[in-house]
Amino acid sequence: MITEQTTTRIKLLAVLLLGLLAACTSTTVDEFRQGETGIESDESVVILGRRQASDYETRADFVECVGDRMGRGENAINVVPEQEFIDAMFPWFEPRTAPLRTRDLEQLMAEDVVARKMGEFGIRYIVWLDGFTETTDRQGSISCTIGPGGGGCFGFGTWEDDANFDARVWDVGSLTNVGTINTDASGQSYLPALVVPIPLIARVEANACSRLAAQLKQFVIGS
Amino acid sequence: MNKILKTMKVQVGKHARVSVLLVFAAALAGCGVNNVTIEGSFPTPNISKLPLTVAVYYDDALKEFAYMEYSETGSEEFNIESGQSHVQLFNAVLPAMFDQVVEVNQMEEAQAGQVDAVFMPLIEEFQLALPAKTKLDVYEVWIKYNMRLVTPEGDYIADWVLTSYGKTPTETFRSAEAGINEAAVVALRDLASSFSLTFTQVPEVRDWLASL
Repeated sequence: MITEQTTTRIKLLAVLLLGLLAACTSTTVDEFRQGETGIESDESVVILGRRQASDYETRADFVECVGDRMGRGENAINVVPEQEFIDAMFPWFEPRTAPLRTRDLEQLMAEDVVARKMGEFGIRYIVWLDGFTETTDRQGSISCTIGPGGGGCFGFGTWEDDANFDARVWDVGSLTNVGTINTDASGQSYLPALVVPIPLIARVEANACSRLAAQLKQFVIGS
Repeated sequence: MNKILKTMKVQVGKHARVSVLLVFAAALAGCGVNNVTIEGSFPTPNISKLPLTVAVYYDDALKEFAYMEYSETGSEEFNIESGQSHVQLFNAVLPAMFDQVVEVNQMEEAQAGQVDAVFMPLIEEFQLALPAKTKLDVYEVWIKYNMRLVTPEGDYIADWVLTSYGKTPTETFRSAEAGINEAAVVALRDLASSFSLTFTQVPEVRDWLASL
């Protein structure tokens, strides 16, 4: 005979298991170094999102997330906010005019106004972030009803998120590409609904952000 | 007592009627056209100024420019008013490009003002792509302009076409109106960047500058 206590335990176990499954996000970080790096305390980094692709663009909040994480904690780095930099540099870093290669940056730095602004910000590295998060494998269904006596949902939904971001690091001093860091994070999210939907979301983009920021920080410092 | 009850009934009845009318009005508003007035801030370009005094003439067609987007069933869906944002954009860009800029309401004012040239921007075409129609997760705005530069007497100097493009990704909890506004602001910034950086490369403008 199943007691009420046993039922509660089973429910708790199920929730715990789903919670553990939801936390299952795998992240891979690849680093490719092409040059020596290092940063002084009066120098700063700017992280910019690539927005040249036709069907997607690197979201500003992901760029902000990476910048925030690089700018706090141990060995914090001065990070210039993306929009502040783009506005101050206007019109040189708009989607159509932004340099795509280091050769373009060299030409851009030949402009007095650009070189002066770069100096004012103390920019040592430009980090170009390019990527997006894709949701695939949507399965299951949830139906909700509402009536005079109340309402509720029943069903189960699941999907997979895959975040893939490339970070290219340009040294403004030597006008070269000093390295590339790739982050690939994926995870399964679940949405069981027993009267009330319980979202168990895999924090794929948040994990990609924190791992990429940590790696970028180490890369820039040169350790 | 009966009087009080009667008054209360009348008041409740009034409130109910007002509520029903409000709900009805809201439902009708939901079915009608959505007005979007483009609003944004445009930074001043960091470029070298040309030693010129230029007058700018904003035609009513530009100042009052509005674009209507129709749904797949042919009903009016979005009315996008972008005339004033274009004026705001040119007012931010032109003083960074030329030594002196004056706004004129008539060509005669330009002649009296002893300016080197009169600039007249016009919008030729406006296109909008919504995620619901393109099945892409982005709002897109594409604008085609006709830029004209004439002498204070109205003689031709240059006439060229510029296109601008802006897109913004869809986001949870962001309305279609906000998405359209964002994409239009990106397109306006794109216009400002290409106009300010390519102005001296327009062949007729280059020839005119060389002749000064």
